[in-house]
Amino acid sequence: MQFLLLIYEDEKRFATGFDPGEMAEYQSFGKQHSQAIKGGNALQSTKTAATVRVRNGKSLVTDGPFAETKEQLGGFYLVEAKDLTEAKEMAAKIPGARFGSIEVRPIMTFS
Amino acid sequence: MRYMLLIYSKEAEMEAMSEEEAGRIRAGHHAVMQETAARGIFRGAEPLKSTATATTVRVQNGRALITDGPFAETKEQLAGYYILDCEDLDEAIRWAEKIPTACKGGEGCVEIRPIIAIPQPTIATSQAGATSQPGKGGEA
Repeated sequence: MQFLLLIYEDEKRFATGFDPGEMAEYQSFGKQHSQAIKGGNALQSTKTAATVRVRNGKSLVTDGPFAETKEQLGGFYLVEAKDLTEAKEMAAKIPGARFGSIEVRPIMTFS
Repeated sequence: MRYMLLIYSKEAEMEAMSEEEAGRIRAGHHAVMQETAARGIFRGAEPLKSTATATTVRVQNGRALITDGPFAETKEQLAGYYILDCEDLDEAIRWAEKIPTACKGGEGCVEIRPIIAIPQPTIATSQAGATSQPGKGGEA
């Protein structure tokens, strides 16, 4: 079963770059779970976000993310886990879990 | 540059949708996937189960605190995503306009976020091909 692990953190923490120690932790997380990790990416700050809405066939584009939140989506992993329990255990090992929150969402499968 | 296109829609409307509408939306997604794949810019897409199935994990003082539900309650909910390798934001916007955000009256939106390119020197298997295989390994 696949899960998306969404990493939300206060992006102000990264305003002056990434902490090398934390980056090393991400690398070791990646190695430790290399079998389970199907994908993952880090996102640039929400300052670079654009939001697109189409209404009555017309496109409305606004700067900024979909919603202003206390913590911001900063990256994700797509993982294979046998169940939600295993996905939660993996989520708790992501360094960002100590600073923000990890939302765990099962991927939808179409029959 | 790779962009993540996050789809936010109203789950309640999605669930109340007729089979015909659902089919139209699926066809819209297939069209975007096929067109972007044909251009060689499709890097992935996944639909998510509803936020009723979401769990949020935080670690405080070494202990995991687990709550049911998504990270934040919002008027529209994250329903899935695409990753596309676009020339620039303008191209990403053009694809976003084609992604069905469901449903009646076209509620919903697509948030576009550029992806950070992280070199992965320490992962032995990811050499020159790493950029064509997004996210394999320790990115985040």
